[in-house]
Amino acid sequence: MSKRWLAAIPVVAALIFATTAIGSGTKAASSGTFRLGTANGIDSLNPYVAFNQDAYSAFEYIYPVLVQYDSHLHFAPFFAKSWHHSKDGKTWTFTTQSHAKWSDGKPLTAADAAWTINIDIKYQGGGAANEAGLISHIKSASAPNATTLVVHYKLAPNPAYVLGQFQQFYILPKHIWAQHLGRNGAGLKTFPNNAPVVGSGPFNLVKFQRNNIAIFQRNDSYWGVKPKIEEFGLQQFSDDDAMVTALQHNNLDAIEAVPATAMKTLRNGGFVVSDVPGLDQTDFIVNSNPKKKHHRELLNLKVKEAFDHAIDRKKIDSVTFLGAAQPANSIIPAPAGVGWHDPHLKTVSFDLKLANQILDKLGYKKGPGGIRVAKGQKMSYDVVAPTDVQSIPRTFQILQTDFKKIGVKLNEKALDSSAAFALMSGPNNTYQGFDLAMWDWTALIDPDFMLSVVTCAQYGGWSDSGYCNKQYDKMYAQQQVAKTVAQRKQIVWKMQAYLYKQRPYLWLANDDSVDAVSKNWVGFKNTAQGPFNEINIQSLTQVHQK
Amino acid sequence: MRGIDYVLKRVGFAIVTVFVAVTINFVLFRLAPGNAVSNLSRVPHATQQLRHALEVQFGLDKSKWQQYVIYLKQLSHGNLGVSYENEQPVSTNLRIALINTLPMVTLGTVFAIILGTFTGVLAAWRRGTKTEGASLSSALAFYAMPTQWLGLMLIILFAGIFPTGGMTNEFLLNPPFWTHMKDLASHMFLPALTLGLTLYGEYTLIVRSAMLETLGEDYILTARAKGLKPRTIVRKHALRNAMLPITTLIALSLGYIVAGAILIETVFSWPGIGRAVYEAVLERDYPMLQGAFLVLTLSVIFFNLVADLLYFKLDPRITE
Repeated sequence: MSKRWLAAIPVVAALIFATTAIGSGTKAASSGTFRLGTANGIDSLNPYVAFNQDAYSAFEYIYPVLVQYDSHLHFAPFFAKSWHHSKDGKTWTFTTQSHAKWSDGKPLTAADAAWTINIDIKYQGGGAANEAGLISHIKSASAPNATTLVVHYKLAPNPAYVLGQFQQFYILPKHIWAQHLGRNGAGLKTFPNNAPVVGSGPFNLVKFQRNNIAIFQRNDSYWGVKPKIEEFGLQQFSDDDAMVTALQHNNLDAIEAVPATAMKTLRNGGFVVSDVPGLDQTDFIVNSNPKKKHHRELLNLKVKEAFDHAIDRKKIDSVTFLGAAQPANSIIPAPAGVGWHDPHLKTVSFDLKLANQILDKLGYKKGPGGIRVAKGQKMSYDVVAPTDVQSIPRTFQILQTDFKKIGVKLNEKALDSSAAFALMSGPNNTYQGFDLAMWDWTALIDPDFMLSVVTCAQYGGWSDSGYCNKQYDKMYAQQQVAKTVAQRKQIVWKMQAYLYKQRPYLWLANDDSVDAVSKNWVGFKNTAQGPFNEINIQSLTQVHQK
Repeated sequence: MRGIDYVLKRVGFAIVTVFVAVTINFVLFRLAPGNAVSNLSRVPHATQQLRHALEVQFGLDKSKWQQYVIYLKQLSHGNLGVSYENEQPVSTNLRIALINTLPMVTLGTVFAIILGTFTGVLAAWRRGTKTEGASLSSALAFYAMPTQWLGLMLIILFAGIFPTGGMTNEFLLNPPFWTHMKDLASHMFLPALTLGLTLYGEYTLIVRSAMLETLGEDYILTARAKGLKPRTIVRKHALRNAMLPITTLIALSLGYIVAGAILIETVFSWPGIGRAVYEAVLERDYPMLQGAFLVLTLSVIFFNLVADLLYFKLDPRITE
């Protein structure tokens, strides 16, 4: 190695540093490109495979749906211009947009909608199983002409239920997907639907790399109101700090799901930080399986009530969420839809004295170490804590300290979500393997989904509490077929009040939805589900530079 | 003939290792608590039918033994299966992730090898001086630093100078070749530097130790007595004879390049194989995990074999 060669090393290194460093923070593409950072990301472009919320939000922008929510969360026309139902409520007729086209120039008609519905019904036990919940109660669909869609139901569902399901139902291009049905519809799941995706929304998805980027370009043949920007990109970050730094240095224009720790910094840095009540709620789960074999004292409603009084929700909000959350009290969070949340439910008070009195009354006396003994067993429980919910470790510490004061010992059992669910549901979905757990739920605008997670039918599916109650299940079925929206609302409130007393979940905090955007952009609209959401397409069709 | 025996033995050993690793890969991931379909069946519109449909589709309704036989059959045809998560061929997923990972990890590893060897040699040659102290303490410090912490510190230090996430600026529309290369290099700088800094300490320590051993040998004393230049002694006599442990370490490092760097890829949002494996673990995506670990196994075995064969060249005494 000659001296000259050695001397060249720092020179070359400096040159590389200089040439690569210059311009890394500069803005690319045209001024009409809006760059959005996300920690969630699109996992698949196939609606029969996708899991992440960003994937469903992307579908909202590239595929037509019959109806969307307006900014007040009322149903608004979209691909369906109008709709009505028969007297018996079993037949719904939608009048769809005329002269609409797919991005490849082929006509988009009501026949595409009818085909998608019928295919989902036909293959709901196989390739289309992902969408099965959206077509439940539907018998068939037909398109007598290009702008008329007729949907036949087996029973008469509630109008809000029908529209709520169709708000999430993506109409697919028949001429593309019909070629990929495969054997018994199995091909629906294996079709990669690679970019550029044939769609018919305000944007076309033209580039996609998993775990990295999705680029959406304005669809000039779109039949609705055209977006104000030429394109937007969704860049995925796996580290929150790196994402916040990218925004601060003009490598991004906005970020969704801003960590609470960064809110103040970004506000001080001149960014517009929007903080609105969100749809995500953290919970403390009590195994409520009526056939539970061990620690059966946890089925006692009085014990659950005592636990509820030992939760300092204000402290959780201020310490864990730094104020970006509200105390929670119901399975339906307040921001979900218009009036679905029961306003009569009050947040349970933090009252350790009362909690102790309740447990004393039950005769559960404190033993060695100050731990109570219930039916001969120490009130010492493992709390299953999934590691993918960031707020859990700090919240657990708060709970553990306060529960100790009422003579109940909590031990954290951290597991990844797959292992946690396997432990909780147990072998053959018997729900015998756990006592307490912590997790979170993200509600949808329509209450049906959240109300369903505690039905007996969800054993092994969505149930993470083992709760099974025939009376509750009856109410769940009733709300789906209530004749009017007002009637459905009454049942939904009744169900919430019922669960409030039964306490399969002790609700902890209702997290805020927080986004941050550069001052150079206006029109970017945050919602309870974030700015890039499944509610409507307002945010990215209206955003534009100042 | 002894040389051929040595090579055949090593190759045979490598083949058996691959088979054992394939079997362990199959069993190991299935022993972990959790179920491959529990997460995938928890999408908002799914019903109970989805869980069963997924089990049938992925063949998880069959016995473990049947699954193993099917896996071996597929593997013998070069088929790594289909990812549970995005339902695409594992080979496609791995290819894309590997293409993303290799440049960054190779750059970081080569940087570590060069810097580590240089500082290791320097520390040994300047034994007992401040140079050795500085070299050793900085190597130990970087070796002990948590990777993710170092990455975040570099992000804070270089924010605004280098990009903090992603592989390229994806918003550049059809950039010219050199613009793209410059963009790629700027994105690669921080993750590769983080990897290089966390790895080089190990090289420093091993090289220093190997060098100290050879510098104490009689032939070094002879070389000094003959009046050879210090640089010649280090390069031609000490370093060459210290190559055996260094070769092993380099081979191991190169073998692990295909594993990516989970923590670094996560901190810098690098869409590489490390992140793909991490996600596959969370989702219990058995075909992806089996495929990724098979590639890793083959890579490690290959580079170990190369190291074994290099030993044969570097130290002819092995065949005796």
